Amino acid sequence: MQTEATLAQPDVSDLDLVTRCQAGDTEAFDELVARYRTRIFGMIYNMVHSEQDAWDLAQDSFLKAWKSIKRFRGRSSFYTWIYRIVMNVTIDWLRKKQVKGGGSEFDDSIQLKEVEPASKTVPKSEALPHQMMERSEIRARIDNAIAQLSPEQRAVVLMKEIEEMQYHEIAEALGCSIGTVMSRLFYARKKLQNLLRDVYENI
Amino acid sequence: MKTFEEKWTAWLDGQLSGRELSEFEASLPDRATAEAEKAGARKLGALLKRELGASLLTNEEFFSHQVRERIRENTAPSAEREAKGSAWWTIPRLLWTGTASLAVFLIFTILVMRDKNPAEESQYLTQILNARVDPVVSPNATVSMFEVKQDRVTVLWTEGLQSLPADYAAK
Repeated sequence: MQTEATLAQPDVSDLDLVTRCQAGDTEAFDELVARYRTRIFGMIYNMVHSEQDAWDLAQDSFLKAWKSIKRFRGRSSFYTWIYRIVMNVTIDWLRKKQVKGGGSEFDDSIQLKEVEPASKTVPKSEALPHQMMERSEIRARIDNAIAQLSPEQRAVVLMKEIEEMQYHEIAEALGCSIGTVMSRLFYARKKLQNLLRDVYENI
Repeated sequence: MKTFEEKWTAWLDGQLSGRELSEFEASLPDRATAEAEKAGARKLGALLKRELGASLLTNEEFFSHQVRERIRENTAPSAEREAKGSAWWTIPRLLWTGTASLAVFLIFTILVMRDKNPAEESQYLTQILNARVDPVVSPNATVSMFEVKQDRVTVLWTEGLQSLPADYAAK
């Protein structure tokens, strides 16, 4: 797993930075934020489908991580540990949102406006307008399909397919068994395959 | 791995090998359909990776700056509290002081009231009932009652009565 800052400071491990954080070094934490901010933001964004909400949730996650970093014992990697915080924050938020009955998550028109997927995924200089539109439609279809999964299924499928995490890492991040992870992955994939078959078969 | 879902997922991700793999593949009722499903799942994975894997965070430095600010804000109040260690009139302290004062006042009041009620200590009960009789018949009449609790004796002392009402007559 290549991170942003590993290229700049390959000799400083996450664990060293965590040790410094535990002594109150905010600069060390800043370094950890720099290493993981993009991936964490991307992960949350793919779960909540709103840039603003993803920003806030990623901020909350890092703040929680800072507050509880003294309790980090190094039994797992920092990456897995912070993903657990991220998942708790995001899944709680999604559940509260569902309870409130906002329903905006499933509103196609809102998603299309908020996400603007083509602008993020396709370099502007290379993409032609019709290609951008096509990508935008594909992205909207994917987002709609993911929105139909439960928060836990979303988390599992995104961690597996995008982050390429191992079953045991996902289980640690979600605080469940490996069997549960595999089972959730099974149902999430089945559902996504049903919803997106025409998309991936025609590419 | 126990359930079919777990085995299927492991098979799909290439996590089955040896005897486990051959057993699972032999148990599939329609191998061709299963292989098509597997290929479909892999295409789905590639699609998700391609479409969702791209970086979205454009203003990374501002993101870090905001995290730093929030940590600073979060740390500052506790530092301020420590700095203001001598500040006495905080709300919790006021609350505790108020409660403690009230408790002291109640205890003091109870003790004083007990002192002022000498029934247990004094020979005579100080309870004196001063009651006027009918003000028209006897305008200056008063009735006082003394009680010696120890002897279980009550004395009724009347003054200024013009005449006793007829129904008071001894029979």
